[in-house]
Amino acid sequence: MTQTSVCAFAPAQPMTRRALAKQRTRRHLLDAAKRLFNERGYEAATVRDIAAAAGLSTGAVFASFADKADLFGAVILDDFDALLEHLQACEQADVTAEGELLCLFNSIYAFQRDHLPLVRAAIGHSWLGQPEAERRVRAGVKRVLGHVGEVLRRGVERGELSADLDIRLTTEMIWESFIANYRHGLTEASDREALTTRLAAQIRILLAGWRAAA
Amino acid sequence: MGARQERKLATRARVLAAARDLFDEHGFEATTIRLVAQRAGVSVGSVFTTFSGKDELLSQVMADRVEALQGELTRVIPHLRGPTVDRIRSIMAVHYGFETRRLKLFVAYVTASFTWARDGAVAPIGSNNRFRGILEDTLKGGVARGDVRPDIDVDLFIDALLAAYVWNYRLPAQAGADSSALIAQMDRQIGLLFDGIAARV
Repeated sequence: MTQTSVCAFAPAQPMTRRALAKQRTRRHLLDAAKRLFNERGYEAATVRDIAAAAGLSTGAVFASFADKADLFGAVILDDFDALLEHLQACEQADVTAEGELLCLFNSIYAFQRDHLPLVRAAIGHSWLGQPEAERRVRAGVKRVLGHVGEVLRRGVERGELSADLDIRLTTEMIWESFIANYRHGLTEASDREALTTRLAAQIRILLAGWRAAA
Repeated sequence: MGARQERKLATRARVLAAARDLFDEHGFEATTIRLVAQRAGVSVGSVFTTFSGKDELLSQVMADRVEALQGELTRVIPHLRGPTVDRIRSIMAVHYGFETRRLKLFVAYVTASFTWARDGAVAPIGSNNRFRGILEDTLKGGVARGDVRPDIDVDLFIDALLAAYVWNYRLPAQAGADSSALIAQMDRQIGLLFDGIAARV
């Protein structure tokens, strides 16, 4: 057996106890950080309090993360991972682009509903101009945008949307309208139906020029 | 006006000017009330007697800029000619031309606007009715001129327009885009939006 093939099998080997413990510690830390960032906001949640909530020393936190911004970036990416997992089941629920997009965004709102302050802080954070944090948030956003682009592409394939549709620009604009709803506080509205109605109208306005001629 | 009242107003103006410059230099997060007080030459306590905190300061700084931007728009609007889509493009270009002069200040406003409590203390982006009114009048003018469909949902259309307008400010933060790059991106977005409301011949 060559050395390369040994390497290929390596990931299947059980993790060492040390690696498992490290992974568990990271999980505890991310969960505690997520909770405190959500409850107190980015500025008020201190690394010391987060460490205490995770049952760790402050030093142990700084062994894994350079600073609070770094930890926050990891929390956001972890949240994106969980979101994408949550989205999987939704995709084939409807056969129109509008229906699919509604389903997609409704399930995003549903997922984020119990930690909206964190979500808003994450969006605000992506504007701070710290290149590293920005890059990470953008990586997460890009994955969600990929889903939106896929829906539009399927719409074009079905002949529902015009082949001239600028998928990238439209995807971005749908995302922009979606994000603006957080700024207007619409996401807190207790009336979920109102939010869905508005979202549908937003999507219709953006797709209005691209209905393939009947 | 009494001397006491005059002093109070002068202090307020100094605090607001200091806050505007600091937000524009350092962004929202790095600007502290302590720094604002220091630069304005007043005590931290006296900043807090007038403003509840950073959010309100920034909100007032932005409100004080409305007049100047409104003035630029008022000068441009009577000269707008041609298709409605181009008139809207010109209006948004004036906005970008104005805000990119203090780019970091506007980005600070965007940053903060996602986390602000919606209790009425601060005005959220896109809520200025005078700016919305200008867009609304132009779109309704388009209906009258016949190049905008009469069944346009003006409010929703303006919301979509402003959502793109605001989000574009991430471009300079990420890629160092200047105002002409922002205007070019907005022109494309307005074009896409207009494809949906153009009157069919």
